[in-house]
Amino acid sequence: MSGHDEARLIAAARAGDGSAFAELVARHQQKLRGFLRRTVGDWGDADDLAQEAFVAAWSRLHRFEGRSSFRTWVCGIGYRIARDAKRAHRRAQTRDADWLEVQGGGDPAPLEDHIALGEAMATLPQDQRAAVALCLGEGFSHAEAAEVLHMPLGTVKSHVNRGRERLLQALKVRDE
Amino acid sequence: MSDDARLARAMAAATPKARDQAFILAVLERAEAERFRLHRSRALLRGAGYAAALVGLLWPAMTLVPAEALVEGLVGSACLAAFVLFVRRTVNA
Repeated sequence: MSGHDEARLIAAARAGDGSAFAELVARHQQKLRGFLRRTVGDWGDADDLAQEAFVAAWSRLHRFEGRSSFRTWVCGIGYRIARDAKRAHRRAQTRDADWLEVQGGGDPAPLEDHIALGEAMATLPQDQRAAVALCLGEGFSHAEAAEVLHMPLGTVKSHVNRGRERLLQALKVRDE
Repeated sequence: MSDDARLARAMAAATPKARDQAFILAVLERAEAERFRLHRSRALLRGAGYAAALVGLLWPAMTLVPAEALVEGLVGSACLAAFVLFVRRTVNA
């Protein structure tokens, strides 16, 4: 997807074109939902927050200046909504049962690894978890993650390194 | 398999589908509901404003105030309305 193409979609959505906005959602939902699922832990809550983030982005689109990419911007909105709302643990636990299906035919991770990772992610401090989810989960660069999380670059790097170590440790412990 | 590859594979379990029409539809529905809610709030405020203005205009006639005071009140209201229109036009420009 070219930057020009995305700029055209953003301009159209800003002018009230619902189909352009739908296309933006279609292109960026995977990154935002993946990031929030790893950060929040509960997939149902994370998807709900992702919807909220897109609605907020829709109403704030006139404020988007294009200094960062749209995905960075919308992930930033999603992160702040997730952090501020603190509703995750209060909502009904509506677990997605389709986590195996979303692998898309690839080699799925063993259930034990998935559980161990989820548990280990839950023990990480929130900022560290978000940095790990963005950089290791969604492939964001450290600089992009720093932009999303409003953190210094060095802090993000250190969060990712420490978080990665703890996650690897959790997987090893599961083996023993 | 290396530890990093194993970590990456476990991480990928939380990745949703690349195209998820149900999710997109849910977002559009929520956005539409939000837009409707804002529109309704604005319409309610506008209606309340019109009602207050109407009552303000009819009140002097109902209470039989002198014509001089009535004209004074109308001029005052017109000035206020002009000011509100000016501010709105400036803000929206």
